[in-house]
Amino acid sequence: MPGPWRWLRQRGGMIAMFIALFLLWEFAVKLFGIKEYLLPPPSKIWSEFLKRQSTVMTGAWTTTIEIIGGYLLAVAVSIPLAMAIAYSRFVENSVYPIIVFLQIIPKIAIAPLFIIWFGFGLFPKLLIVFLLCFFPIVVSSVAGFKSVDPDVMDFARSTGASPARMFFKIRLPQALPEIFTGLKIGAALSATAAVVAEFVASDRGLGYLLQQYNGQLETPMVFAIIVLLSLIGLSIYYLVELIERLVIPWHVSQRPTEMTGL
Amino acid sequence: MTPDSLTEPTAAGQPMPRRPPGVPVEIAAVSQVFRRAQLETQALERIDLAVKPGEFVAVVGPSGCGKSTLLKIIAGLLAPSTGKVEIAGRLVSGPYTDLGIVFQSPVLLDWRTILDNVLVQIDLRGGNLAAYRDQARALLAKVGLAGFENQMPRELSGGMRQRTAIVRALIHEPPLLMMDEPFGALDALTREQMRIDLEKLWLERGQTTFFITHGISEAVALADRVIVMTPRPGRIERIIEIDLPRPRHKAVITSRRFTDYCEDITECFMRHGVIQY
Ligand SMILES: Nc1ncnc2c1ncn2[C@@H]1O[C@H](COP(=O)(O)OP(=O)(O)O)[C@@H](O)[C@H]1O
Ligand SMILES: [Mg+2]
Repeated sequence: MPGPWRWLRQRGGMIAMFIALFLLWEFAVKLFGIKEYLLPPPSKIWSEFLKRQSTVMTGAWTTTIEIIGGYLLAVAVSIPLAMAIAYSRFVENSVYPIIVFLQIIPKIAIAPLFIIWFGFGLFPKLLIVFLLCFFPIVVSSVAGFKSVDPDVMDFARSTGASPARMFFKIRLPQALPEIFTGLKIGAALSATAAVVAEFVASDRGLGYLLQQYNGQLETPMVFAIIVLLSLIGLSIYYLVELIERLVIPWHVSQRPTEMTGL
Repeated sequence: MTPDSLTEPTAAGQPMPRRPPGVPVEIAAVSQVFRRAQLETQALERIDLAVKPGEFVAVVGPSGCGKSTLLKIIAGLLAPSTGKVEIAGRLVSGPYTDLGIVFQSPVLLDWRTILDNVLVQIDLRGGNLAAYRDQARALLAKVGLAGFENQMPRELSGGMRQRTAIVRALIHEPPLLMMDEPFGALDALTREQMRIDLEKLWLERGQTTFFITHGISEAVALADRVIVMTPRPGRIERIIEIDLPRPRHKAVITSRRFTDYCEDITECFMRHGVIQY
């Protein structure tokens, strides 16, 4: 069967459900005369969005940069750090407890501090996204790097392989599934982190716009931005999952059930 | 045997030519004590054993008597508390690389095909993969895995995976093969077939083989000598020469002499309370 048809057959039910839900929403709002500032109908959300499109898209761009920048920063720091923790008893005993302690601090509560220290620019937002994504990536990666079966290591040692060869041929591929688990959790958190950062202090971005529209009771725009934020978050998550499929197909295909899979 | 049969891979990257079949292994007064927190475990006590070149030695003993510890010490993966091991006259001090190892679980790499799992032996040694590819296919075919080269490990049964592990341990033609309960996780029928195939491979290649098991009849069926170990502290209780013709066909392993050997070992375990009726 050609690709699109198969896709439609598999996802057809879900798509039909979404359409039905939106129709129900649209007519229920009209039928019961619900006020627009409480619950606008989908058609209204869409038309309002089209009117403010350029403002909203500029904001979306700002927020996307914060999400991706902070996320990449977290990836770049977490994975080498996880390696150090996994392979050095000293680092594990000295640095890891501090990281766990930092994780206990509610990071959202320290966000205002970052404004005092670093001002209103991009940097404090990157930092907050970084902080939220960082921990799950480190924890999963440490578990991944440590998960090598001792018999596999004994086999590898019996070949006299150099440490570098052992790392690239055995330890790293072995760790990748768990690293990707952390990367996906981080990706799912990243959009929330950026919006929170913008809530605290900002003059741009979707979080900022959300607060503005909310204050003016422009509820259709609030809905539009929530949908847009969800789409950005979802896209980033699926991008990571796509990379996972390309990097470790041997693992992805053996997973019994896909958590998602649009 | 010509001197050049001892040479390492040639410049052209050809597989090593046929080597002398097996190396002698000399285990002298090896003891092992594990210390963990307050606890001291005497795992091995004064093990002395000389394995002849090309000999097939099976070690039987109850769980926890130190069989795996002994294998790791011989392979240089663990330094003994006291005593020493010499392979081919050279003191083992660090992982000994001129050998093949098979464990109870096949420990294949999930991300490599069956063929590439065999070749990882060469890959980790920095060898020329292309030179070994045909040999790997031939050896896989010999153990009944023709046509499975490009499958992933998870697509194969436990027995097939363990066959792959054995091929991986032999692809570089090592003069020493170490096996730690290699058939322990397999069903009885698969186990029997693998025993037959292992004997064939050994008869063809003649590598010195050190085979750990807790199956008494399996040990007798395979070995030139059976080393009977007693529970902690692990000690060699008896060494039994198995004087049975090879290959050990059905007639051999159902013979009176075969069962006598098995009974002998069973009684030895009964005396030590390992087996109780
Ligand atoms: N790394 C270790 N640290 C502490 N004790 C160990 C270690 N390895 C093995 N032992 C102990 O040594 C004894 C022998 O273990 P092992 O060689 O695995 O036995 P076997 O393979 O015969 O079942 C056991 O009591 C085991 O608990
Ligand atoms: Mg064992």
